[in-house]
Amino acid sequence: MRLTLAKILAVTTGVLIVALAALFALLQTG
Amino acid sequence: MTPVVWGALWIAVYLALVAAPLFVLLVAPTPPGLGFWSDFSLALGFAGAAMMGVQFMLTARFRRATAPYGIDIIYYFHRHLAVVAAVLIVAHPMILFVENPVFLHMLNPREAPWHMTAGLASVLAILLVIATSLWRKPLGLHYDEWRIAHVLLAVAAVVLALVHIEGVNYYVAAPWKRALWLIIVASWVGVLLRVRVLKPWRLLRTPYRVAAVREERGSSWTLELTPDGHPGLRSFAPGQFAWLTLRSSPFALKEHPFSISSAPAAGGRLEFTIKELGDFTRTIKDVRAGETAYVDGPYGAFSMDRHPAPGYVFIAGGIGIAPMMSMLRALAGRGDRRPHLLITANSRWERITFREAAHALQAQLDLRIVHALEEPPPGWDGVVGYLTPEVLSRHLPPDRASREYFLCGPPAMIAAVERGLYHLGVPLSRSHTELFDLV
Repeated sequence: MRLTLAKILAVTTGVLIVALAALFALLQTG
Repeated sequence: MTPVVWGALWIAVYLALVAAPLFVLLVAPTPPGLGFWSDFSLALGFAGAAMMGVQFMLTARFRRATAPYGIDIIYYFHRHLAVVAAVLIVAHPMILFVENPVFLHMLNPREAPWHMTAGLASVLAILLVIATSLWRKPLGLHYDEWRIAHVLLAVAAVVLALVHIEGVNYYVAAPWKRALWLIIVASWVGVLLRVRVLKPWRLLRTPYRVAAVREERGSSWTLELTPDGHPGLRSFAPGQFAWLTLRSSPFALKEHPFSISSAPAAGGRLEFTIKELGDFTRTIKDVRAGETAYVDGPYGAFSMDRHPAPGYVFIAGGIGIAPMMSMLRALAGRGDRRPHLLITANSRWERITFREAAHALQAQLDLRIVHALEEPPPGWDGVVGYLTPEVLSRHLPPDRASREYFLCGPPAMIAAVERGLYHLGVPLSRSHTELFDLV
């Protein structure tokens, strides 16, 4: 169970970072 | 605060550390935008670099931050995050190449400015770090050599990434942004110094002596250590593990994690029981009494002391019995009267490590023992084969849902037993695991 949670958390972190990067790009463009 | 709240808090701290460079970028005054895809690509590069920097923190063995999860799982998290970070880092130049193919010239070190070559070298170093870690065994890399290469390549990757960011000098050009960026980088360097300099220096001042080396069943050896001029490990809970250094300086990166198989004892005496599985573990039998050892620990959340229950179930595959013996011995020493169950899974009867020692504990504890064998001897009427839900169901106590379960052994066995227990009505929160097959 902990292994699965570690994987989910790592992927969620990646998604969050991509979203923040996109937000930064949007703010810069806007 | 409960461990769950602490766990959530440390995850928030981690996310804040990784996102910090992006927030630094966003704070005004910001240079003119370069277009959505270029800015998106740059942000991915910064975030990827930050994730690589924070990787050093994940393996720095901060006791308080790792306690809610167990440090073994932090190492797995470190591994998964490295792959995520690599995806972001590789995406950074890829997006630029697709958006503007002129950038492809940057791949040629003869034409590219030095900071672009540094960026390219950083990406290659990161890919090399990940490939050698995910496939260390198929590549035939020795653990000790891999560890040294891992640290050197990881440091090189981050330094080269910083050289690249410094050389591009666009989004961190403002003086105070530069200061913030330097603070972030200094925190990574600080952690690296703590792990590679301060901690080994502390270990050097708290050595142990090998008191005895004993052969156990199942190609395993027990090392008995006594602290030399200090009281030993602080706050060691039965079931925890430590990193052990033998025949090397603590600065040499030649340490290996092993479960402690003894109960906390007066005088700080420790026992590690180690199975011959690899290059290092095969040399344990050659260790002699009087040799020096260094112990970095205790670590891990795998202890019955963290989970009060009306009784415990210990399920061990092979050498996974080591932390169970620590817990059982501690329970015996405390005069515990609760009912406990020990299930072991091994290949053959004569290879059950601690077979006699576990049965001897039955005189002091209300302990039932079930052995499962893959190759049983003639006339064996016990469990044969794997610990299937059917086998578990037959042997678990009637109050199975209220017991706490400790699982240690090969990862495939742990996963199968954990699933089996869940299907038998044991809440996942009551199954506790220790994973050692880190790299």
